[in-house]
Amino acid sequence: MPEEFIQHANPKGSLETIGKRLPRIDAGKRVTGEAIYPADMHLPGMAIAKLKRSPHAHAKILSIDTTKALALDGVLAVVTAEDFPDLEPGTSVPMGQGSCDVWMVGQINMARHKVLWVGQPVAAVAAVDKHIAEQALELIEVHYEVLDAVFTMEDAQAETAPILHDSIRTSGLDAPINKPSNICSRTIFERGDCDTGVTSSHAVTEVSVSIDTAHQGYIEPQAVVAKYDREGLTTMWVSTQGHFTAELVTAKILGIPQSKIRVIPLEIGGGFGGKVFVHGEPVAAKLSEKSSKPIKLVFSREEVLQGGSGPTAAMQAKVTVGANSDGRINTLIAKVHVDAGGLPNMSPAIILQVLAALYQTPNLFLEGYDVVTNKPRTEAYRAPGGIQAAFAMEQAIDQMSEKLDMDPLNFRKKNFAVTGSIMPAGTPFPCIGVQEIAEAIAKHPCWTTPLEPGEMPRGRGLAFGYWRGTSMTSACHVTISGDGRPMFTLGSVDISGSSTAMAQVAAEQFQMPLQDVYVATGDSKSVGYTDIAAASRVTRTMASAVVDASQKALDELKIRAATLIQRMPSELTYDHGSFRTADVGGPSISSAEVMQSTLTQGAIVCHGISTDLPFGVEVGAHVCDVEVDEDTGQITVLRYTAFQDVGLAINPAAVEGQIEGSVVQGLGWAITEGFDYGDDGRLRNASLLDYRIPTALDVPSIETVLLQKPVPGVPYGLRGVGEVPIVPVAACVANAVYRATGARMTQMPMTPERVLTAIQANKTN
Amino acid sequence: MSKEILACTVNGDKQSSLIDPRDTLLEFLRDRLGLTGTKEGCSNGNCGSCTVIVDGQTLCSCLMFAAEAQECEITTVEGLATVEGFHEVQDALVRHGGTQCGFCTPGVLMSAVGLFNENPNPNEDEIRLAIAGNICRCTGYEKIVKALQDVTANGEVA
Repeated sequence: MPEEFIQHANPKGSLETIGKRLPRIDAGKRVTGEAIYPADMHLPGMAIAKLKRSPHAHAKILSIDTTKALALDGVLAVVTAEDFPDLEPGTSVPMGQGSCDVWMVGQINMARHKVLWVGQPVAAVAAVDKHIAEQALELIEVHYEVLDAVFTMEDAQAETAPILHDSIRTSGLDAPINKPSNICSRTIFERGDCDTGVTSSHAVTEVSVSIDTAHQGYIEPQAVVAKYDREGLTTMWVSTQGHFTAELVTAKILGIPQSKIRVIPLEIGGGFGGKVFVHGEPVAAKLSEKSSKPIKLVFSREEVLQGGSGPTAAMQAKVTVGANSDGRINTLIAKVHVDAGGLPNMSPAIILQVLAALYQTPNLFLEGYDVVTNKPRTEAYRAPGGIQAAFAMEQAIDQMSEKLDMDPLNFRKKNFAVTGSIMPAGTPFPCIGVQEIAEAIAKHPCWTTPLEPGEMPRGRGLAFGYWRGTSMTSACHVTISGDGRPMFTLGSVDISGSSTAMAQVAAEQFQMPLQDVYVATGDSKSVGYTDIAAASRVTRTMASAVVDASQKALDELKIRAATLIQRMPSELTYDHGSFRTADVGGPSISSAEVMQSTLTQGAIVCHGISTDLPFGVEVGAHVCDVEVDEDTGQITVLRYTAFQDVGLAINPAAVEGQIEGSVVQGLGWAITEGFDYGDDGRLRNASLLDYRIPTALDVPSIETVLLQKPVPGVPYGLRGVGEVPIVPVAACVANAVYRATGARMTQMPMTPERVLTAIQANKTN
Repeated sequence: MSKEILACTVNGDKQSSLIDPRDTLLEFLRDRLGLTGTKEGCSNGNCGSCTVIVDGQTLCSCLMFAAEAQECEITTVEGLATVEGFHEVQDALVRHGGTQCGFCTPGVLMSAVGLFNENPNPNEDEIRLAIAGNICRCTGYEKIVKALQDVTANGEVA
């Protein structure tokens, strides 16, 4: 057993609860309808809020007249940007190692002076019922001066393009230009000499791709209930990936102290990155203050898709790979443009690093641009940028292996980064089982079994994926109950089964059965600051905090136990709920007895904090078999296998669930999911009929293979798990389509029309 | 708008309630009866989160007016478990990890119950077809399908 596993194991050196396939501790309320999401809340006197959204993609707001709406019977309050403080651009709150741009989030919640995309909110109304609220929206008169708009990155970068933000100057240029631009930033990573690298290469290959915007597709639309009370305290019941961030941001947008806002996280019906920011929470809070009523605001699906939430970024990428005759990569050049939507700062830095992370090369030039267009400000989606980057890079790798006449797995094995090799940003490649995954694939039937021929062309694809994730800060506390059992309050919301995993860690620490530990998420006023539930960080960092709190609580229990049995604490060992001395027949005392005797002398409350934990980098690799209908362009995925180094699976069933769900999300974006914007910047497929998320009939059974190589220096060696399994999917399918048809896929999603076009173009050439 | 009275049976309980003629069956269940287990994900019949069983028929409650449910027998997710325990389909979903965020789960359960009512021994294709109207964004369907196959393996369904 690796050191990281043993370090926190029980006296027998084994793990008893960690590693077991256990049902979620909250599964019961999920299958009975008892799980409460914000839209399920009802408070006495509650009013319904609706948002008025911009019909224009780019326009100045000249005036907003709310008189007629306010005069309508049943309307309780109306708000516009005038009801919120005018924040300075750059206003931010802390988030992880960086910050959260509150000015930007403010614009997402309520446009001021100017609208930047169709669907951006310009006003909101609260009324006694939704019909009156909807009627009132029609009575709000907004006068716009419509401006020229840009919807593609090409148009946005043109010399004569209408400018979205007069304040933006392109950062990161070799020679700064003091002129407003829609290009927010240029980011580069550079090493060696790529010009020489290319000319000296035995083989050079190039792939250019274009990827449409897609949506996280959480099934629960954004929803919030807010209640402003007579003491001036605002309570918000939210569906969020970070209630502390929601509190910080909302307080700033409202201009109120944090002592006047409390955020209670309820169940979250899927987030995948799309519920990191607040969407409507400050507006609901302000409507509650103005109306003195509790307010419920729930988005419609059309609102979610049509500008009410941040979808993920469209991207264009060109990757050039050069290799020597011995099969070693000597040059990697990548140029990436990221479509941020209407507001800046979708930095391509992480995307570039992820794109190039897995392979060693002496010569490297990575260049990324962040471009604004008149579309919704994009937000994170599961390993943000990862699947787009891999769609370009892993196709280029596949193409190079073919060019060198090498097996695609062996070509990769020859070029993989190894622990300590230098990554694009100059940092060392971490300890992770990349080669182990390759070995596992080489032996697995999904790779060794010959592809059975079908009536239509079939192909097998392979792709790897890398994701860094992050650590940030997590906090919890544990109280020891009167019967000696631990009661944990966590600062993190549960988007992945993390609370069940924490119960398993707590049970392991206290050497008790799972049902003997209590675990719940605290609200923003009942537990210490915890960063957002994102970036594959919650389970691994919160586990570290739970270990920290547990060790402190067990130490305190031990001191009390020693006093009660008149021994020194150092003489005692904790073993499955009891403290014993080493001497045979010596005294022992249970935690229950300790607390029975000492509870009323004062509680044992211990905090656990995890901050700056070493990264739990993720690597996965996928193999799929597809069949392509050359008459219709339809791709059918026949078989799908996902390999991943997960560090240690606290709950293998939950880990598999993350991978299976992730793969199917990836298949959606790979084959059917893409935003279709019209010439007016309006989304033409703003429904779940036209924006086509995979159903159970669209996907095969997903097989998962878990490998466990622990992260050094991390309790239980835990890695991130939930993001990387989306990264290789589209490239894996594209490589399979290529092997089936000979056509290289340059657009994503790979819709039948695009596949057909690629096949026909390939035949013509 | 003038109200009207809806008389129907929900999870075995007779209900008589004032409704707005504009109310959908989903709004009636959630807002008038407080049965919020049935979820609203799209209001267009595309996501299946609002699936209930009306007179033996599995349907999206967002697509039916409440007024159309006059004298109907309606089963929602709240009607599946008894004091003795979970319905077998609920139990299977719990054991197999077939619920993650939980938002689609009530709809998936009702589609599954509808399937087993008509076909006690469905194969994998029939299971996938039966839940094809329920979009799940978390599980990739894998553990839902496995759970429902386990129900069939265990034989009789309540």
